[in-house]
Amino acid sequence: MNMNSRTRLLTHLQAQPVDRLPLMPITMQFAAAHIGVPYRQYATDYHTLVEAQLKVAENFSFDFVSAISDPAREAADCGADIALFDDSPPALKEDNALLADPASLARLKIPDPEGGGRMTDRLNAVALFKEKVGSDKLIEGWVEGPMAESADLRGINTIMLDFYDDPDFIRDLFAFVLEMELLFARAQLRRGADLIGIGDAAASLVGPEIYEEFVWPYEKKLVDGIHAAGGLVRLHICGNTTKLLRKMGQLGCGIVDLDFPAAIADARAQMGPKQVLLGNLDPVKVVRNSTPEHITSCIAECHRAAGARYIVGAGCEIPRDTPEANLRALCDYALRTKP
Amino acid sequence: MNDQHPLTQAIIGGRRKDVPQLVQQCLDAGETAGSIVEHRLVPGMAIVGDRFKRNEIFVPEMLLAARAMKEALKILEPKLVAAGIKPEFYAVIGTVEGDLHDIGKNLVAMMWKGANIEVIDLGVNVPAARYIEAVKQHNPHLLGLSTLLTTTMPAMRQTVQAIREAGLSVKIVVGGAPVTLEYAREIGADAYAADAASAVDAAMSLLHHKP
Repeated sequence: MNMNSRTRLLTHLQAQPVDRLPLMPITMQFAAAHIGVPYRQYATDYHTLVEAQLKVAENFSFDFVSAISDPAREAADCGADIALFDDSPPALKEDNALLADPASLARLKIPDPEGGGRMTDRLNAVALFKEKVGSDKLIEGWVEGPMAESADLRGINTIMLDFYDDPDFIRDLFAFVLEMELLFARAQLRRGADLIGIGDAAASLVGPEIYEEFVWPYEKKLVDGIHAAGGLVRLHICGNTTKLLRKMGQLGCGIVDLDFPAAIADARAQMGPKQVLLGNLDPVKVVRNSTPEHITSCIAECHRAAGARYIVGAGCEIPRDTPEANLRALCDYALRTKP
Repeated sequence: MNDQHPLTQAIIGGRRKDVPQLVQQCLDAGETAGSIVEHRLVPGMAIVGDRFKRNEIFVPEMLLAARAMKEALKILEPKLVAAGIKPEFYAVIGTVEGDLHDIGKNLVAMMWKGANIEVIDLGVNVPAARYIEAVKQHNPHLLGLSTLLTTTMPAMRQTVQAIREAGLSVKIVVGGAPVTLEYAREIGADAYAADAASAVDAAMSLLHHKP
């Protein structure tokens, strides 16, 4: 069978036969370095982001391109204090959190994704992807998940205590974030995204009780809202999600990413045979620091543990200084292996 | 160790509103401030650390416990100072230059404080020169370096190198998501901590090591 990348991914996600395993490693800083630009330019200029993603996708045969860049787009457009570094991702200034005073939430307006800010820059990236490779590669948009974005706005140290101190505030904040992220996701879908990645890293810091009571319901509403707007969903929670796997599997996401601390075999057992899993090589210890041979052996083991409902990728972002031979070993496994 | 003592249980459960009264009860019963720290607070935080290592509690519960301990120290520290009791061990901690992430560093600082180590927290995005200045000023036994980004791992290496070149004898503990034991050894750190609870084990091992 002869299929292009976009067809391969869409077909695989519909549980139909494909010619080989799809390939969706997350690259951000690696992509910027691949075309020799500082990360600040990648994160703030959609032309650069698109150029880098297209080059990496072409050179390593990825089946997708992604508008992911950093967690600070929505927060920036809300008015949060963001630090920009020359060659590192933009970051939230924790000691000057936008919602340090919880009463500020009542006055906070949801930013317009088309309002010319950092969210608009991502929309433009999606539109440019659609123009350049829309029929060939799956286009991945990106939003922050309820836990991650709420932590960005409130301050991650503070929000951890809010679960116990002020659960009503948590629900109000999550509701605000849900509305904002649905708006952002729909805008990306209108511009041509096929799939929306949800990054909810901070969710791995809370235990299963807090995840089930507070985080999961809003993740579910976000997933359902993206589906209703015609998009597929990829869930990405970095860190140790071992205790969250069962509930993550109940969200109905097209793809669930697993980071290296969560065993793929565990995820398969708890999420059932149909859930498409992606991951989960240790990006630093294995992908960056080990050898092509070891990487091949490890990704084969991931595939074995996951079974056919699997997409090749690492547990998280491919580090910037990963040797090309190492990334190529990861990719070559997908290129020559059937599900 | 009496981990069933009401004050220890209040620390473990993060019940900070109960702490002031429980501390006062201990003082009224004749316990010294130092004894309360050593026998009521430190064991409570040790249990918190163990439960975190075993994935029985998570970051919110650790922060609650640390906040409860802080409530106790608000009452006890002035008494320790008045009695001329200085901390036995000191540590300086920070997130390396270029990195603004602080929750991991904060958890380590809280756990070290819970192990009765006095902690000077330099915050985030700390250049090597500031670490050197702080180590010279405070003469700590330990220096904790944290980073969450692979791109700022070189800053961790540079800091360790700068500390060594400055001839400072502080023991260096490193940690953070991209940091590994191998990297810690490669850059010449004295110890690696995979999480906040392990950071206490690393500290105790370094502080009580008999050559």
